[in-house]
Amino acid sequence: MLLSLALWVQATDFFTYLRGSGYVYPSILSLHMIAIAFFGGMILMTDMRLLGLAFRDRPVADLVDQFRVPKRWGFLLAITCGLLMLGCKAEEYYYNAFFRAKVVLLILVAVHALAFHRSVYLKAAEFDRAGRVPGLAKLAAVLSLLLWIGIAIMGRGIGYIEPPFGIHA
Amino acid sequence: MLLIENPLNSSPLAFPVLECFHIVGFAFSVGTIALVDFRLLGWGMRRETPAQIARETFFWTLGGLVVMLLSGLMLFSSDPDNYYLNWAFDIKMFFLVLAIVFNYTIHRKTALADQPAGGKLVACISMALWACVVFGGIFIGFLNSTLNFKNI
Repeated sequence: MLLSLALWVQATDFFTYLRGSGYVYPSILSLHMIAIAFFGGMILMTDMRLLGLAFRDRPVADLVDQFRVPKRWGFLLAITCGLLMLGCKAEEYYYNAFFRAKVVLLILVAVHALAFHRSVYLKAAEFDRAGRVPGLAKLAAVLSLLLWIGIAIMGRGIGYIEPPFGIHA
Repeated sequence: MLLIENPLNSSPLAFPVLECFHIVGFAFSVGTIALVDFRLLGWGMRRETPAQIARETFFWTLGGLVVMLLSGLMLFSSDPDNYYLNWAFDIKMFFLVLAIVFNYTIHRKTALADQPAGGKLVACISMALWACVVFGGIFIGFLNSTLNFKNI
């Protein structure tokens, strides 16, 4: 079912056009990377602040609260570019083990948000009042770092898998 | 002619693993520089001053740059001829040098100033330079029959 959806998506005029141009796909990938740098930096610094490794003179709440909305915009840009690239080569991605791993890690990011949004990220001001960041918050930061670095690595891996012989694209 | 085998070319994993370091180093360095840019533009972190952000991110930016440059040099060493013929590589190097010099001169001076003058322009230039570096870097891998290599 997923495979036939993949075949249908990449056969649409829009994605056939995107795939055919030598410049469009790499340009979308470049925007994807820019989103990663500009907004991944916010994720990294939020996590590093929770771990006490950056912005130690500034309140935890400053970073967590101020990055919340911009991070969502960055994620939106990254995922939009990602979906466009997926559409171009949907069948290849379907067979790509690194892509599957990346999707699993992205699902785990959603689980991370469900688990820690209330218990950690909405309580940043409490950590500042208490003067210390609890272990649970540090755990959330470490897991977030591992997940996002893993996602970057899996994303890079996607380009290294040769599509199986005889597929359509 | 003396042929020396580059150890990076003896394992198929060396290049992709180095690229991962390159990307993570890139996210740390450009990501932290972008935080200063967003602040100069007045878009984010308004509870902090640009100077505070520039100082707090200094070592993460530098560390990221070092990882990115070292891994980049190693990637280059795996196949220098290929990069020599690659026009996207030239573009990337041109903007990379500009971006690094700009970051540690005008950008830094503006961010650390008590009353940043022309902060928005500086932030736009900084982001544009790094965006050009990214585009150049991505296109390096996409030269093929559609996008030709240099003719020499």
